[in-house]
Amino acid sequence: MTATTEPTATTAPTTTPQATVTTKTTDARPRRRVIWWRLVPAAVLAVLALIGPFITPYPATRVSGTSGTAPGAEYWFGTDSTGLDVFSQTLAATQLNVFIAVSVVLLATLIGVVLGLAIGMNESRPGPGGLTARGTGRIVDFVQAVPSVIVGLVLVSFFGASIGTIVVAIAVILAPIQVRLVRAEVLRVRGEAYLDAARMAGTSELVLTLRHVLPNSVRPAVANMSVLFGVSVILTAALGFLGAGLPPPTAEWGAMIARGATDAAVGRWWPGAFPALALVLAVAAVSLAFSAFPRAGSRR
Amino acid sequence: MTTAAFSGSTAAEHGRSSATVRTADWFRRQRWWLLRVIALPFQLLLFALVAFLLVRLIPGDPVLTVTGNQATDEQYARIQEQMGLSGSLSDQLVAYFAQLLRFDLGTSLLTQRPLLEEFGQRLPATLELATMALVVSLLLVGVAAYFAVIRPVPVLSAAIRGYARAAGAIPDFAVGVLGIFLFYATLHLSPAPLGRLSPLLSTAPTVTGLPFVDTLLAGDPARTTDMLWHLALPVGVLVIAHSAVVLKLLVGQLDDELQKPSTLFRVSTGASHATVALSVFRRSLPAAVTMAGTMFGYLVGGAVIVEALFAFGGMGQYLTEALAGADLTAMQGFLVAIAAVSLVVFLVVDIVTMLLDPRRRPGAQTEA
Repeated sequence: MTATTEPTATTAPTTTPQATVTTKTTDARPRRRVIWWRLVPAAVLAVLALIGPFITPYPATRVSGTSGTAPGAEYWFGTDSTGLDVFSQTLAATQLNVFIAVSVVLLATLIGVVLGLAIGMNESRPGPGGLTARGTGRIVDFVQAVPSVIVGLVLVSFFGASIGTIVVAIAVILAPIQVRLVRAEVLRVRGEAYLDAARMAGTSELVLTLRHVLPNSVRPAVANMSVLFGVSVILTAALGFLGAGLPPPTAEWGAMIARGATDAAVGRWWPGAFPALALVLAVAAVSLAFSAFPRAGSRR
Repeated sequence: MTTAAFSGSTAAEHGRSSATVRTADWFRRQRWWLLRVIALPFQLLLFALVAFLLVRLIPGDPVLTVTGNQATDEQYARIQEQMGLSGSLSDQLVAYFAQLLRFDLGTSLLTQRPLLEEFGQRLPATLELATMALVVSLLLVGVAAYFAVIRPVPVLSAAIRGYARAAGAIPDFAVGVLGIFLFYATLHLSPAPLGRLSPLLSTAPTVTGLPFVDTLLAGDPARTTDMLWHLALPVGVLVIAHSAVVLKLLVGQLDDELQKPSTLFRVSTGASHATVALSVFRRSLPAAVTMAGTMFGYLVGGAVIVEALFAFGGMGQYLTEALAGADLTAMQGFLVAIAAVSLVVFLVVDIVTMLLDPRRRPGAQTEA
């Protein structure tokens, strides 16, 4: 956790040195191959996200039956208190929720890599450059200090509830996690001998950062993307739950669960349970997909 | 590896009087927490500045967002004044900070009441809920980690580790809805999710502003049990949804510490099981305490959601109303208020971790 760099006996300066991730004794033997079946649930999720809104049995945003019908042959997941078909809504919402989450993860990781590299490479430097880097580092810490749901709520209230705002708001909230991961790796990589070698060969700092530091320091942030996906799906839904999501007729899991809460109190479990289940399954599918790939530090 | 650099510069103070040296010495020894405390107001001002700039970044005219298009010039000017958006940017900034230094967060656009008063009535209840969840959660996490790592119980240990792995992937609002369905609608074990007390009971007189503490102080056992009964499910929801984060970290730390030479040394000296366990726990604590601080942040966010779900009034309801009514001043004030709370929590966390592990104090750099 702490940024104490251990004086590891570095091997010959290869282009991709072994990441000094503390490998636990329990999984000492690294796995090298991709386990393909673990990608299947995520692939199904992706397909559903792409075609979901077009294959719903009922329109997702219009009343299609008597309110509060229990799940059955006609309405697979039942209908909610306004008579909307829960199955159609859950399916249609997949696109929006997955799209937002994927965009958030990509944007947050991009911000994390750029800021993490900039801070990590410059923070111990004297002068205004170092000062800016350290200052940015402090601000990044601050963003993490405030409860994320609340920051999201405030940002969405300021800039309006649209897909773009929600993506940017949640990405800004989650980016500090990635910044920290990248920064810690940059600090580790910065002392490696192959950087000195490149410097002596006359490589400029920028090229050095992009060619040598970047590829060697993004691993933990990339591995963390699965966690980030889960968090952003949940955060999006939490905002929807608190009423800071997209306006009502839009099918969205969080807003569906919020409406399902009143149903749950009178004993109708289905309007809230199915979107919640969809949310959990989506997070699990992506998490499983990431576990299909070899762990960091086990390549080569 | 661990050279605490406290003995750096005593040679320089030969010529000075002993009193100055003693004061300087005292300061040097206490520097680690003094500096941290002094930094707090500056961090707060920085946060306030961010909140200020955020409102100015709102695209379009935020005053029109609040008033709608039908506002008369007079109304427009009044709202603009109230939002602190009249005059030049530097005037606005000066006015804003002058206001903040008087502990004035502005006036709610919806209710026309000072925000400090509004938050003062609602925030303590939210924080109390989060704190209760934190205490319960930390107790359970400690016990769970003990039975998962130090003294593993076959099935339980695997279950605890499995739960810890779900960290960050448990949506509190969904757990809350599930809890209401299961314990209220189906099993009828929990009261209706309609507030902290049964409708027939009157609330205790306000002394501290913390609902549960006030009820305790009022000394009416029936009312206290009733509130506990109402709080059980919401606190349980928060604990289930948010404990995994700390548990995961603590289990990982304990796993690591158990393998370290210091543990083996203790075992080899013939120390009792309790002593070894205590030592392993103590070494794992700093990281877990830091994580507990982060968890408190999640819990405050979760408490807002739970309050909305269980109709506790409080910040949850206030926020949803402010959101629906586009009360930007309230949102801005709330961000600053919550930031203040979070920064104080992080201050406490920092000081506790530095007490637990002196190597974490500034100036005690571990040289590699």
